[in-house]
Amino acid sequence: MFKNQEGEITEKETETIIGPSVKVEGDFHGEGSIVVEGQVIGTLKTNQDLRIGPNAKVKADVEAANVLIAGEVVGDLYIKEKVELKNSAKVIGDITTKIISIEAGASLNGKCVCDQNASTERKEETSKPKLRNGKTSKPEVL
Amino acid sequence: MYYYLYDSFLSDKKYVQSLAKIENRLIDLGINGKVEKMSVLKSIKEVVEDNVKSGADTIIAVGNDKTFSKVFPIVAAQSNVTFGYIPIGNGTIAKILGIPATEKACDVLSARIIEKIDIGKVNNHYFFSSVEVPQAKDVSLECNGGHFSISSMNNADHIQICNLSYTPINTEKHKNICNPKDGLLEVVFTPKEKGAFGKDKFTTKKQSVFPIRKIKIRSNDTVSLTADGETVVKTPATVEVLNRKLSIIVGKERSF
Repeated sequence: MFKNQEGEITEKETETIIGPSVKVEGDFHGEGSIVVEGQVIGTLKTNQDLRIGPNAKVKADVEAANVLIAGEVVGDLYIKEKVELKNSAKVIGDITTKIISIEAGASLNGKCVCDQNASTERKEETSKPKLRNGKTSKPEVL
Repeated sequence: MYYYLYDSFLSDKKYVQSLAKIENRLIDLGINGKVEKMSVLKSIKEVVEDNVKSGADTIIAVGNDKTFSKVFPIVAAQSNVTFGYIPIGNGTIAKILGIPATEKACDVLSARIIEKIDIGKVNNHYFFSSVEVPQAKDVSLECNGGHFSISSMNNADHIQICNLSYTPINTEKHKNICNPKDGLLEVVFTPKEKGAFGKDKFTTKKQSVFPIRKIKIRSNDTVSLTADGETVVKTPATVEVLNRKLSIIVGKERSF
């Protein structure tokens, strides 16, 4: 997977690049690997690898196969295989994965579940109400 | 049956010799056919449609990149018709398709390597290479039925929606981005930076790339979009890919 700060994802494997000058808002579902160097607000999902660069700001729930984080993430992470936090990483949210690697200096504020047998699928029904667009969504009364 | 469509600029005397060489080579290869010269009095669309009805299955545009851009949308709209191109002089499209100039192009036509490639559509206008958005300020792109939107934060990005791009940065890296057979368009944001002597220059290192099938371009003020170098539509516009829509004869040296 990822070996260094630059990451091991090569040009050919990379399909989506969110550069430093770009902001993505909404439910972003990519089919290939994703590199984030800019801003993402909403949800971020891919069935392949994700790299969040040192200057990236992600305010989103994240789903991916593997993730390398060097930037800022506010949201829950559901990662199928491996999470790697570099020393510049700042994560505010819960992490569910099989393997986690945290470098000295990384910041993690949230619950971390690391289990080889754990399901890393995001559970829509049981998740707590989320803040979106600054408004609190209230559970519907049937 | 082959049908050759000569652009109007080829009626100039300086092209007589080149055209004679092309015609001789076509006869040698046994692929000569009906020839029609474009003029302001003839509608290319009507001429192509009439010839397709009377049995033409291969339409060849003879001219430059502009000729190519004028003829291919009409051919793409026909069914079971193959498109060919004989470039006069050096053109960017010819390079990408691996077609050499003038009479050497006849050998490529004769070899008849046919690829089915994607083309783009912006509102009702077909494009082959890319659509360019001249400004990034107050422009937002909505993808996936409006599930997410992309916008530029510094308002200084050059935005392109590419099927097979060659501008603004003609580098190998940029060329690799676009594959005209993948059923996708690539939205590319290229930031501008101040270079030496205060001149703006594009930086490919900070590019953003989004593979998409359909996208809506919206802006606060009306913005004119350029498709294949010609201004065609104004915002709001929908850009989409038409998968493997065009059958085209290509050379071995093609870049895809």
